Amino acid sequence: MQLWRWILMTVVGVSASILPGSLALPAVAQGVEVDRVAIVTPASRTNQGWDQQGVNNLESVGAELGITVDVVENAGYDDITPILNDLVDDGADLIVCHASGYQTVCPEFAQSTGVPVVVIENPGAVMPGLIADIETQGQEAAFLAGVVAGLETTTGTVAVVVSGEPPSWNYMTVGFAEGLHSVNPDATLIYQVIGDAAYDDAPNAKRVTESVIAAGADIVFGMGDGASFGMIQAINEANADRELEDAVQFIDVIGDKSGTDAGTYLLTSVLFDYTHAYTSLIEQLLAGTFGEVYTMGLENDGVRLLDLPESVSTDTRNQLTEAREGIIAGEIIVSSIADADGVHQRLDELFPSEN
Amino acid sequence: MNVEVVLTALLTAAMAGSIPLMLAAVGEAIGERAGLLNLGIEGVILVSGLAAFWLVLETQSLGLGLACGAVTGLICGLGFGVLATRGRADQIVLGLGMTMAGLGGTAFVFREVWGSQQPLLSIRSWRPLDSLLDWIPVIGPALGQQRWPVFAAWFLVIGLSSAIRRSKFGLQMRAAGEFPLGLEASGASVEGVRIAAAALAGTLSGLGGAYLTTVELGFFSPGVSVGTGFMAVAVAMLGQRNLLRVALFSLGFGMLTGLDTALQLANVDARPEFLRMIPYLAIVLTLVLLGRDAKSPAALGQVYRGLAGRR
Repeated sequence: MQLWRWILMTVVGVSASILPGSLALPAVAQGVEVDRVAIVTPASRTNQGWDQQGVNNLESVGAELGITVDVVENAGYDDITPILNDLVDDGADLIVCHASGYQTVCPEFAQSTGVPVVVIENPGAVMPGLIADIETQGQEAAFLAGVVAGLETTTGTVAVVVSGEPPSWNYMTVGFAEGLHSVNPDATLIYQVIGDAAYDDAPNAKRVTESVIAAGADIVFGMGDGASFGMIQAINEANADRELEDAVQFIDVIGDKSGTDAGTYLLTSVLFDYTHAYTSLIEQLLAGTFGEVYTMGLENDGVRLLDLPESVSTDTRNQLTEAREGIIAGEIIVSSIADADGVHQRLDELFPSEN
Repeated sequence: MNVEVVLTALLTAAMAGSIPLMLAAVGEAIGERAGLLNLGIEGVILVSGLAAFWLVLETQSLGLGLACGAVTGLICGLGFGVLATRGRADQIVLGLGMTMAGLGGTAFVFREVWGSQQPLLSIRSWRPLDSLLDWIPVIGPALGQQRWPVFAAWFLVIGLSSAIRRSKFGLQMRAAGEFPLGLEASGASVEGVRIAAAALAGTLSGLGGAYLTTVELGFFSPGVSVGTGFMAVAVAMLGQRNLLRVALFSLGFGMLTGLDTALQLANVDARPEFLRMIPYLAIVLTLVLLGRDAKSPAALGQVYRGLAGRR
């Protein structure tokens, strides 16, 4: 018995030593204990958008499951490997890399250290036990927002103002345009990009929004994070001289600003709720089934539309319900386009003269 | 689409939106004339903007808010001036430090005070030319839309330009930047003149920050100045530290910034990235074309050690 054990150990040892480096994978987490999770965000956790929603949702999941949550904010888009190393040193059992900009660094880190990570919009990186992906494709809910805009616009001109063209914004731009086109193909759609990564550029967001309002838009679908407040203030100022029935309305994304100073002219919002995604991923880690793609859709309420204000007509509500059921049933297929060129091409197809 | 209405909106936004840059750039030009290169304007704009926003939120008084911003800027400017002259600190390091402190400090204070809330102001200030010039296409309505702080800022800059050109202090300021030794030999205090110039520059930057958060945007958020302070340094150089020229370049930059929006609205078939490059490309080209004969003040950025220090 002793001899067999020695032979076995020798074979394993020799095999391990002659295996090429690429095949020598680190230990992969399977059914691990989860006491501490961490989230890394590129911007501030109080940016009223993407970063804030991710942090808030993970903290609420942590409180629910009795897990400590470490938050690293304002990490930017540079190499975050030192941050990830610090989090592991602090005992993180799982790290959520909350930006599509971390698509490369986090999978590489997970593979080199064996610490499980969650990435955003990178299904190709998924690896059982090590890397899970959240697809925050808000295009389905954005489609519904487009339906509302198409039915509620009185000028027939609707604008999409974005603070950049990352995949998350692009998915929603196309979804919104398709929803608008489905109910109001004659509408005019104005598409304006504030900047390359102008997520906090409120002054320019305000200027651009003032311009699209001057061009006739009475509904603005704004994707901006902190820059959204520039859009909102442009709308507030424009409405100061208007009757309520002529008011310009705002469609927001990710968070719920109703009931705040920014909610006065809020028509609706494409809400992102990561709570279920995070809960599922932590449960999968505990069960040893971690490492899949989690898609946040209408069906699991990962994305949904904020309840409409009372002023919205019954007809609009009915058509919205129909569209939602159609998407869930697979009768309505919303395009899933991540790249900026694809967005421009699709907008040209849907609204040829405007974009 | 009504082209005239869109052009009016773009011009309105450019006129109003260029004021923070104009005030900061004019302030920087004043400081540079006296030999001080202040890279801390970004921080001053943020600190003053936050202070002004807080006061307006509390009092609903725009005038008080603007005054608060100016005083905050004055204090920051005094601090910079004293450290750069009496403290003999390296101006570049000091300026960058002020910017970093302003960025971090205001973000910290904002979160401590308001957490994840984002309060908005809804102050409606007076429009002196409202509807008076509507008969002039585009420019008339755009002027009519401007609020009183916009006109006040222009009057301030024109007044300062005239005063600095004609006053003894203006002459001393130029001497402090060009030939401080001569200034001291004439019996004036180089440090005193430079500190006064820094205080004036800080006041203008502070006013710019206050205008940004209380008049232009109606809110504060961390990093809300998005590089206006650094752009002010470039525009001050572009305008060769001539206050009126600096002010006009600021307005021109504001208009160019709106150009990408105009071209996108006009369905110009070009990548948005290229369109957004235009204002910055224009700055580089103008610097190349106009900057050939431009001369910076001889003592710009240098610590003055005085006649005693030379013996």
